[in-house]
Amino acid sequence: MVRDVKKLLILGCGTCVTVCMAGGEKEVGILASTLRLTNRRNNISMEIMEDTIERQCDREFFDAVADKVREADAVLSLACGVGVQFGGEVFEGKRFLPGLNTSFYGANESVGVWSERCAGCGNCVLDKFGGLCPITRCSKSLLNGPCGGSQNGMCEVDPENIECGWQLIYDRMKALGLLHKLEENEPVKDWSTSRDGGPRKIIREDMVQ
Amino acid sequence: MGKKIVAFCCENSSYKAAAAVSDADVLDAVEIVRLPCSGKIEIGLVLKCLEDGHAGVLVLGCPVDNCKYLHGNTRAKKRVQRAQSLLEEAGIPRQLVHIDFISSVDSHKFVEIVREMKERIAEAQAAGGVAGE
Repeated sequence: MVRDVKKLLILGCGTCVTVCMAGGEKEVGILASTLRLTNRRNNISMEIMEDTIERQCDREFFDAVADKVREADAVLSLACGVGVQFGGEVFEGKRFLPGLNTSFYGANESVGVWSERCAGCGNCVLDKFGGLCPITRCSKSLLNGPCGGSQNGMCEVDPENIECGWQLIYDRMKALGLLHKLEENEPVKDWSTSRDGGPRKIIREDMVQ
Repeated sequence: MGKKIVAFCCENSSYKAAAAVSDADVLDAVEIVRLPCSGKIEIGLVLKCLEDGHAGVLVLGCPVDNCKYLHGNTRAKKRVQRAQSLLEEAGIPRQLVHIDFISSVDSHKFVEIVREMKERIAEAQAAGGVAGE
């Protein structure tokens, strides 16, 4: 991806990817060192600059690295996919490359473990299922109870590692004394607020200048 | 050999062991960095040492199951393993980074570890796996 780049800026993001130890200042240093070592080994001449900004999803934070970005032939962004794209928009004509393989948006379950919680799909149903999302927690995103692959609380997709989302929902609703609510039929989800509806946008009229 | 081997030593164990070493060859070969615990080691720092041209990196913690801070040495081990796999990805021999566990009275082991490390580095250099600065 960066083999032919003569001057590369590795740009970290100081927010989400920093706390999940994927693309903050430390990871920028690690990647830069690894790349310099491999370049030296393969006699590749590449100047590597390093920097990290507060966020790559807000335009103003890019000002701090504007000179470095302009100087670089390409920017290897360690932000999530949002930052990579937004950097390319802020610096028109500059090549922004993804340094991470953004997989999902989740929670820090325990030290060193992250798991998916929200798909950001719109028409949120968390209120109906005890605060557990059937879209992300059930492997099949079922809305009206578990499939036949739920065994001992685990999901047939990966019985060792994936909990059955519907077992979790059932247990939580029972604990909340709301089990009767699960008898209500959940209609087919309108996916037009998710990937089906094209790129999504939120406009706060009270904020727009 | 270029710059010295960097030996990150836990002040509760290997640092004390190193302090009692008198072998000039061994002491000449290493640059000792004192850590409050081997668990303080950072992957970036290990790679930076190699990037800066040091021949190799040693991380020396307390004996297994006898870390002063309970889990520092096992954390250090995981970080060293991560650094080693990154080196492998970069095409650099993983043996340029090594972790070992010794107590404060194991000066003879310290000497042995440094000697073995020098051999590993020489092997890697002979195999052409180490690029010069």
